[in-house]
Amino acid sequence: MRRRVVITGMGAITPLGHSVQSMFEAQLAGKSGVAPIRRFNATAFPTSFAAEVKDFELARFVSGAERWANSGVNSQFAAAAAQQALADAGVLEDGRVDRTRFGIYLGSGEGIQDFPNLIALIAQAWRREGRKFDAATFTRNALQSFHAGHESEQELHTTAGHLGAHFGLEGPNYNCLTACAASAQATGEAMEMIRHGDVDLMLAGGSHSMIHPLGVTGFNRLTALSTRNDAPQKASRPFDLHRDGFVLGEGAGMLVLEEYEHARRRGATIYAELTGYGSTADAFRVTDSHPDGRGAIACVEAALKDSGLPRDQIGYINAHGTSTKVNDLVETIAIKKVFGEGAYQVPISSSKSMLGHLIAAAGAVELITCVMALRRGVLPPTINYETPDPECDLDYIPNQAREKRIRHALSNSFGFGGQNISLIVSLL
Amino acid sequence: MAASSRRTVISGIGTLNALGQNAASVWDGFLQGRSGIRAIRNFDASGLPVRIAGEVPGFDAKNFVEKKERKSLRMMARTIEFAVAAAQLALTDGAVDKSKLDRTRFGVECGSGLIAMELPEVADASAASTNGQVEQVDLLKWGSEGIPTIEPLWMLKYLPNMLACHVSILHDAQGPNNTITESDVASLLALGEACRILERDAADFFLVGGAESKINPLSMVRQCLFEPLSHRNDDPEKACRPFDRRRDGLVLGEGGTVLVVEDLEHARRRGARIYAEVAGFGASFDADRVGHGLARAVQVALNEAGIGPKEVDHVNAHGLGSIDSDAWEARGLAEVFGACSPPVPVFAAKSAIGNLGSGGGLSELAVSLLALKHGVLPGTLNYEEPDPACPVSVHTGAPRPVTKLHAVKVGFTQMGQCAAVVVRRWDGERPA
Repeated sequence: MRRRVVITGMGAITPLGHSVQSMFEAQLAGKSGVAPIRRFNATAFPTSFAAEVKDFELARFVSGAERWANSGVNSQFAAAAAQQALADAGVLEDGRVDRTRFGIYLGSGEGIQDFPNLIALIAQAWRREGRKFDAATFTRNALQSFHAGHESEQELHTTAGHLGAHFGLEGPNYNCLTACAASAQATGEAMEMIRHGDVDLMLAGGSHSMIHPLGVTGFNRLTALSTRNDAPQKASRPFDLHRDGFVLGEGAGMLVLEEYEHARRRGATIYAELTGYGSTADAFRVTDSHPDGRGAIACVEAALKDSGLPRDQIGYINAHGTSTKVNDLVETIAIKKVFGEGAYQVPISSSKSMLGHLIAAAGAVELITCVMALRRGVLPPTINYETPDPECDLDYIPNQAREKRIRHALSNSFGFGGQNISLIVSLL
Repeated sequence: MAASSRRTVISGIGTLNALGQNAASVWDGFLQGRSGIRAIRNFDASGLPVRIAGEVPGFDAKNFVEKKERKSLRMMARTIEFAVAAAQLALTDGAVDKSKLDRTRFGVECGSGLIAMELPEVADASAASTNGQVEQVDLLKWGSEGIPTIEPLWMLKYLPNMLACHVSILHDAQGPNNTITESDVASLLALGEACRILERDAADFFLVGGAESKINPLSMVRQCLFEPLSHRNDDPEKACRPFDRRRDGLVLGEGGTVLVVEDLEHARRRGARIYAEVAGFGASFDADRVGHGLARAVQVALNEAGIGPKEVDHVNAHGLGSIDSDAWEARGLAEVFGACSPPVPVFAAKSAIGNLGSGGGLSELAVSLLALKHGVLPGTLNYEEPDPACPVSVHTGAPRPVTKLHAVKVGFTQMGQCAAVVVRRWDGERPA
């Protein structure tokens, strides 16, 4: 029989609070974490707001925070959320846990460039008249002014590497970066490692922040972000007719995944079982998802098949729900295709209406939201849902949390470039 | 692999590096003992302390992409172009008829890293925002005058997942698609994961790869600040000397490799020519970089393959060429192979092509696959004086005959992420 995988610990650093509890309570209250950007002066950017993590101080969460002194907030959020999840699972000090069979799989994003420094260096080396870039000048100056520690901390393996070293987890150490699907994919593949028997425990999840000048610039050029600068808290409005793009968020979500018998033997609190995982690609365009939802449909179906559940058993869907025109439409089409008439019965909401889009970290935080909904019997709402879109006509749990006992929840994550991930969590 | 009845084989190799732009020319370069390390020509490197690297001379991605698809090249950084080129080479080498593949069972998995932006693309925006003084960078000007000068699709050229995304789009691969971003061990981890996916019957056919070019101004500056790079600017071909006593640092290379990796029955059905079976895989974290974790990854992979260290023809090392890294690698390998007599030969491909970063693991594995096929293993370059700190038996000089069925490939990062892969030469219907 296949090894079963359960969730025994969770941690979250989000725009709506620095713990799983506070993040979930804020969602139930329908709060928005969105505000004008404070981290840098974005007032002249096409988009000047985001959902930032507020008043975060790593030393309040971990001992030895100096390890992350040169890290960007991405790795710092990860460290804090990992500490919470490991403590929650009771494995920080548990001598019975074999550290060589305890791995890490993150979907974490890149670190953050020292923007003013880089821009100044580029400007110094740009010969405007001849439109020529003087690489020798750039490299000579950059060697003097780049900070080696800040530069190396941008590398994509450092977040998971620090966690492995700090927490002494010696099993496989992975990071994937599949845009907005990353931490969901990491969680799915981490589950598969436990099922396969490579490990007994995995720290899975992700962290990311693209709330920096180059990140906002890139998404603004792609016209992917909402530009509702006069009403930031109204900007993220998934499935609403007047949605105009997504809102950047940041943060981290971490889960401790554990083989079921292993968790039982050590008397761990089991929050939920991870029962289904689907992974597909659109293989369509780098800029758009497939208009028929081809990849998304196959993905949800794969997760259902993996779980062995009939589709009418899914009591709640935490949508990818970015608040872009195309995503919300295609996701609606896909849900209708998979669930048929049943699509109108299953409550759906988008945490991004409140948290913004945590990019690589979104999937893990939204999966944690699903686990909390299972445990508490309350489903978080989609806020800012004011004007129904005739093409998006499902039950999006508008504006108010809803009490409902459910046993199985589905979480979707669709990455820019076409990666689709669906995860199903179930009460035992 | 062991836990399932499904077996995974490698049936196509697409590879480009400083020695050539396909598997045949790369193999030829290794056999002849050529080095691909030269003075840098990609850009004016005169401002750097290190001015040598293993570039792919004359690389033009248009040669690898069908005419109707060439417009997508403008959305690709050089790193992505290498992956796309290697994928095409792999499909050609594997004689894959794409029209016969089940698209939903066709996955892509790549190792990838940070992709440095091409600085001129934001030069106008930068110049609009500052007079060149850091303290005078004006975000109001960047926002109002800078941002509009940047290409709309600018960011897409540099997203790490775009290697696997472009490959999936060009070849209509609708199965699982992942991007592993674990520095120098990324592509080996990608291979391990793809094998698990095939084994659990979630796909039948995969393109697994990795690619990277750090030979550009931004990445080179960063590399110069990190690891010790070899400073042998006057003697580039001698610069990368894994495990040699006089090694002084790593040398950057560029390029990439994509392998056709598929379920054995699928390969049989399509009449594929099989190079090798992926017999074992292990991954670990070596927190203190003393070698124990690396040894554990190798041991896990050997156990899965059901073999002992004496059944290994050669170890294809990470062999970075830096002082510390080679020493802890050698200690880790000695933990597993130290008791073997005669010693298991160790080969280090970076001596000829440099470090391909996220594309390195599979680019080096490709040499072992070709060695198993051709029955000879090329020599490691520049191994002239053994280092007592590196207790390994480095194979150098003329090619030696391959005498056993298995090769072990290892890789790791400077933070301690490790992986090991065991490949078994395909000798037909030998039972697992």
